[in-house]
Amino acid sequence: MAEANIVVEELPSKEPNSKAVLLTVSGQLDESNVDDKAKEVYKVFEDNPGKLSLIFDFAGLEYMNSKSIGYLTDWYGKIKEKGGELIIARTKPNITDILQVVGLTQLIKTYESLDEAKQALSTAASTAASAAAPAPTPATTATTPATAATPAETPKTNDETYQINQ
Amino acid sequence: MEKPTKITITLPTNAYFISGIRDFTLALIRNTTNFAEKWAYRMQSVVDELCNNAIEFGSAQDSEIKVTFEHKEDEYIEITVEDTGTGKVKVKAADMQEIIEERTKDGYKFTELRGRGLAKIVKEWTDELEFSDKEGGGLIIRTRKYLKDPRYKSGLPESTATHLVLEV
Repeated sequence: MAEANIVVEELPSKEPNSKAVLLTVSGQLDESNVDDKAKEVYKVFEDNPGKLSLIFDFAGLEYMNSKSIGYLTDWYGKIKEKGGELIIARTKPNITDILQVVGLTQLIKTYESLDEAKQALSTAASTAASAAAPAPTPATTATTPATAATPAETPKTNDETYQINQ
Repeated sequence: MEKPTKITITLPTNAYFISGIRDFTLALIRNTTNFAEKWAYRMQSVVDELCNNAIEFGSAQDSEIKVTFEHKEDEYIEITVEDTGTGKVKVKAADMQEIIEERTKDGYKFTELRGRGLAKIVKEWTDELEFSDKEGGGLIIRTRKYLKDPRYKSGLPESTATHLVLEV
C-alpha cells in the first residue's frame, strides 16, 4: 500500500474573518489511500466554515492519481465559492505533467517556491481586504490618488514546455 | 526480426498491490526501453489508471485483474489490462468507446471525482487505445505508445544540445 502524509498548518492571514492553511503533502496519493487522505482535507473545511485559502506544498509528493485530481477540483470549487484561493507549490516534474494533462494548471495557480506561493496568497488577501474596505464618503477630499492594488504574481504554468512535448 | 518481450502479471482485485505495479512500470521503461524519463512516469500513470478502473468496476473483490506489458525494442510499449467482468459495473467495449468519445469532446466538463483517468490521462498519453470484450465476460483495454512513429507524439528522449551558438 502506498504511503501518503498530510501536515496541516495554519498560516497568518492578513484578512479579517478568513483563514489561510498550508497543507504539506508527501508520499504517493493513489487509490489505496486517497479517500482517507481527502477526509483530512475536508476536516480543514469543516473547521473553517468561512472564507478559506489553501496552499498545497507538493514538494514531497511523488505520485497522484486521477481521483486525487478530482478531489483537488472539488476543493477548488468550495474555496472559490467563498472567495478564497487555492494555490499549489513546489510540484515535481511528473506531478506538474499530470496536472497539465488534465487541464488543472489552467485553473489553479502553481508556484515553484513556497515563498512565492505565500506571497501570492498574501497579495490576494491584501487586494481582497482593500476591495472590502468602505469607500470614502463624498465629504472627504482625497488629496492623493488611490494606490492601485498590486496584481498577484503571474503563476508559472509550463504551458510552453508542455506544448513542445505534445 | 526480434520478438517483443512480453510480461504478464496477475493481481488480486485490491488497490493495495497497485503501487508495486507502478514501481515495476517505472523500472521496466527506464531500464529496458529507450523512452525518455518523462514517458516512464507517464506510462506509470497509464498503468495505474487502467488497473484502478479494472479493480473499481471490472473485477469482483475476490477475483483478479491481469496486466500485460509488451515491449518491442525501439518500436513501442504496449500495456493491456483485463478484468473478469464480475465487478459492480457491467460495461461492454462499445459502451466504453462511447464513454471515452463523449468525455474527450471539446468542452466536456468533468464534474465528478472520477472520469479523468481514461479520458484524459490514458487517452492523451498513448497512441492507441482499444476496448474489446472477453469471451465469457470481462473487458480488455489495450494501449500502445510508439517510441518514434512520426504519426504520433514522440516518446524519444529529448535531444540535448551538443554545442552552443554564441551571438557576437
